[in-house]
Amino acid sequence: MSDSEDVRRQVEDFLYLEARLADESRYQEWEALVTDDMRYWVPAGPAEGDRDDSLSYINDNRARLATRIRQLCTGKRHAQTPPSPMRRIVSNIEILSDDGTEIHVTSNFVLYELAVQSKGRLRIWPGRATHILRRGDGRLRMAAKSVELVTAGEPQPNLTILL
Amino acid sequence: MGERPLLDYQALVTDARVHGSLYADPQVLEDEFERIFTRGWVFVGHESEIPEPGDWVTRRLGREPVIMVRDRDGRVQVLANRCAHRGTALCWEQRGHNSSFQCGYHAWTFGLDGSLRAVPYPAGFDRDKEDLALDRPGQVESYRGFVFADPDGGAGPLADHLGQGGAGLLDRLCDLSPTGSIDLSRGWIGHRVDSNWKMWPESDNDGYHLNWVHASMVSAAPDTYYQEVVLGGESGNQSRAVDWGGGHFELDFRPSYRHELAWLGASREKVPGYCESLEAAHGSERATQLLWEGPPHGFVFPNLFLGEMNVAIIEPVSTNEMVHWHTCVQLEGVDEAFNRRLLRQSEAALGPAAFIVPDDAVTAERMQLAFGGARADWAPAGRAWIDMSRGLAREQVLEGTRRAGLVSDETTNRAFWHHYRRVMTSGGAPSSRGR
Repeated sequence: MSDSEDVRRQVEDFLYLEARLADESRYQEWEALVTDDMRYWVPAGPAEGDRDDSLSYINDNRARLATRIRQLCTGKRHAQTPPSPMRRIVSNIEILSDDGTEIHVTSNFVLYELAVQSKGRLRIWPGRATHILRRGDGRLRMAAKSVELVTAGEPQPNLTILL
Repeated sequence: MGERPLLDYQALVTDARVHGSLYADPQVLEDEFERIFTRGWVFVGHESEIPEPGDWVTRRLGREPVIMVRDRDGRVQVLANRCAHRGTALCWEQRGHNSSFQCGYHAWTFGLDGSLRAVPYPAGFDRDKEDLALDRPGQVESYRGFVFADPDGGAGPLADHLGQGGAGLLDRLCDLSPTGSIDLSRGWIGHRVDSNWKMWPESDNDGYHLNWVHASMVSAAPDTYYQEVVLGGESGNQSRAVDWGGGHFELDFRPSYRHELAWLGASREKVPGYCESLEAAHGSERATQLLWEGPPHGFVFPNLFLGEMNVAIIEPVSTNEMVHWHTCVQLEGVDEAFNRRLLRQSEAALGPAAFIVPDDAVTAERMQLAFGGARADWAPAGRAWIDMSRGLAREQVLEGTRRAGLVSDETTNRAFWHHYRRVMTSGGAPSSRGR
């Protein structure tokens, strides 16, 4: 196997693991995949421009992401009580760059969420994710994840899951 | 119209109770679109959203789509988003910029003031262009940049609708800017909820629910300033639920703030630039007062929520669906870091992924589930009533019809519903145009 095929395999393994932990609302295991300077961004439109200068659905630094996870773990986050059953398909994985330390990778996803907290509606979240994966201690971690929803410009229902 | 049984709103809203059919019966929404959103003043948008001639945003006034646009003379126009020829929508995005509006169907072209400018192949067209301008509301007025429209035009002056109470809420928000002007141009985020729209004037201004609906936020972020202004229970909490009259009301946190800038979760050391700008503009004494008091948390009837440094529009979609649109207040004349702090606070509080409002949304959806098919004829049988009596007996009567209760009292909820009853039983403001 060539080096680049090896990297691709590691990246795919990471993205599939991250997706499964998010789908299964395993919040703390998901959080263990992020770096200490993780940025998590879900813009209300295209992922362009300065994220800090716009009003986003989510624009978390590491501290705010920790609050987000803590809130989900209280068991009293009514918008996710009980947690939504979810499954997502991750595909179209493209490695954009790899400088030896950080790998920039984009992928498409379609996420199916059953909103069991009220009317039991099936919500479909299609989009494109861009990850910055950083090598360290012999493993990969997420240093950034930004998610462009196909529906980003339109009103959204509750978005209290991990995308 | 004549065949519809009339709903007795006087009977469905009492001093202490509201009937569940008002959230569930499709006829109620039809009546509201007519009496509240067509015959009264409705918030449209803010002048700062369209700074340059040709800038426009699209909105809905009740069931009518409109364009708010700045014309060539710099005036704000509110125009029906509907070609005067065959009715095609002229704009379909949320915002944009045009030098004129051209319909995609037969290329009729309208000026930014709504006048018909050009019709292709004019030889076959013999109507007077002046008769074919875009429809517009009977009245459009603004107050401190907040643009309101009265579609039928018979609702009297905006100043009468706002009264001192509504105007006072807008003043207190805008006065926090060193220039007296705020900027609402960062775009609106829509939060779609499977609930009736009226859950939102309630929930956005309910001082009683926070310890339960928002228990997870309190537990995950215990240092929030809500702890001291609204969460601490009744004893020792000085915040008030205020009915300002006219359907405008407020959770008044001012008496509970224990230090300057508590509403920002900050101190002077954290935001020195802002404090200096405010002092330079208003003097030290007034600046100190503003830094203590902060922005209001209140509601301007029928669709405008002032959530501290956020502004939200309540948009009914159907009986069982609404959109809670919000944007973040940005202040003119302050440093960029300060406005960015406001953006981050807004993202924490409002919107589909925030720490606060999604839990209100799921609660509203559960209310809507529970009302199901509640009908007005259940009322005499005593079914599907909701109770809103909390604090009625201990309410303080201020001047006129104004009232104040403890922050945990349902004074704000009654303020909405009692005004609603007045509007719905009077048939709205008298129509001047005939229908």
